[in-house]
Amino acid sequence: MADVTQKSPRRFRLRGVKFLGGVLVLYAVLFFWREAQTLTAMRFALEVLEEIVPILFVVVFLAGALHYWLDPKKLARHLGEDAGWHAWLIALGAGILSHGPMYAWYPMIEDLRRHGLRDGYITAFFYARAVKVPLLPMMVYYFGWFFTLFLSLYIVLAAWIQGLIVERIERRSGRCLWSKDAE
Amino acid sequence: MKSEKRSYRRSLKNATLGIVAILPMMLGIVGLVGIFRAFITREMLASLFTGEAVHDTLIGTFAGMIAVGQALVSYVLGGELLGQGVSLYAVAAFILAWVTLGVVQLPLEAEVFGVRFTLLRNLLAFLFTIVTAVVSVWSAQWLM
Repeated sequence: MADVTQKSPRRFRLRGVKFLGGVLVLYAVLFFWREAQTLTAMRFALEVLEEIVPILFVVVFLAGALHYWLDPKKLARHLGEDAGWHAWLIALGAGILSHGPMYAWYPMIEDLRRHGLRDGYITAFFYARAVKVPLLPMMVYYFGWFFTLFLSLYIVLAAWIQGLIVERIERRSGRCLWSKDAE
Repeated sequence: MKSEKRSYRRSLKNATLGIVAILPMMLGIVGLVGIFRAFITREMLASLFTGEAVHDTLIGTFAGMIAVGQALVSYVLGGELLGQGVSLYAVAAFILAWVTLGVVQLPLEAEVFGVRFTLLRNLLAFLFTIVTAVVSVWSAQWLM
């Protein structure tokens, strides 16, 4: 995502153009091999696109509002180096409540990282997304109360432990794992 | 007030540019999701399971990794698999891997967050998916 910190604007650059080209070539090849299935694939892709467009709008407004209202220093204090247990609750709660495909949230998370969000919280956020509150009744119907209850609890616990592991690894290596400089 | 409005507009503009910047990558992922959904059918996924719990738990995790779609679909498919005699361990791993792991979105995740973070996060998610599935089934069976 382009930098939304107004103090340090980053040069705009489209990412993944070659990747998209590769996927289009793949579609062209598959079309000659399995025409009907490829058309179905295109229909599925359009369905996914319809699903994520509203989420992307939500992400844009959330990212814009977060940047406008939140002081980067405050955000760093709440979700950065000096953050405490409440930051874990925020990360886990946000993961549970977030909706739509994981990749729709990447731009906003990347933006928050630039404001100091720690990798451990991001790891916890992504795993906690496995708890789908609106789908819990469906899960109970298929797998029963006890299983649903334990699975949901253990997902949250697993998300937290993974976050702690990432934090520990980063602290030992003394650098941010996903920093471009670290690669 | 005027400057605040201008600043908010700028924040929105920058957030929009952020989305636009990764749009080619995101469209590529959406295209791949379409291909996976059309070419990897439910029947193909179901045929991977053998009825042996340990083997099926691993298969469930891998199948969940490559499958794409709404989480709801994984519950329905998981229910069907249970009905076919596949162990709850395998089904639990399958529905959990479906939402926490994704081969399709790996290129975008690596592009946005870096290769190291992506590898570590997915490795941890893979291991914890198996552990969480097994412990959840144990706990549920212990209470029942």
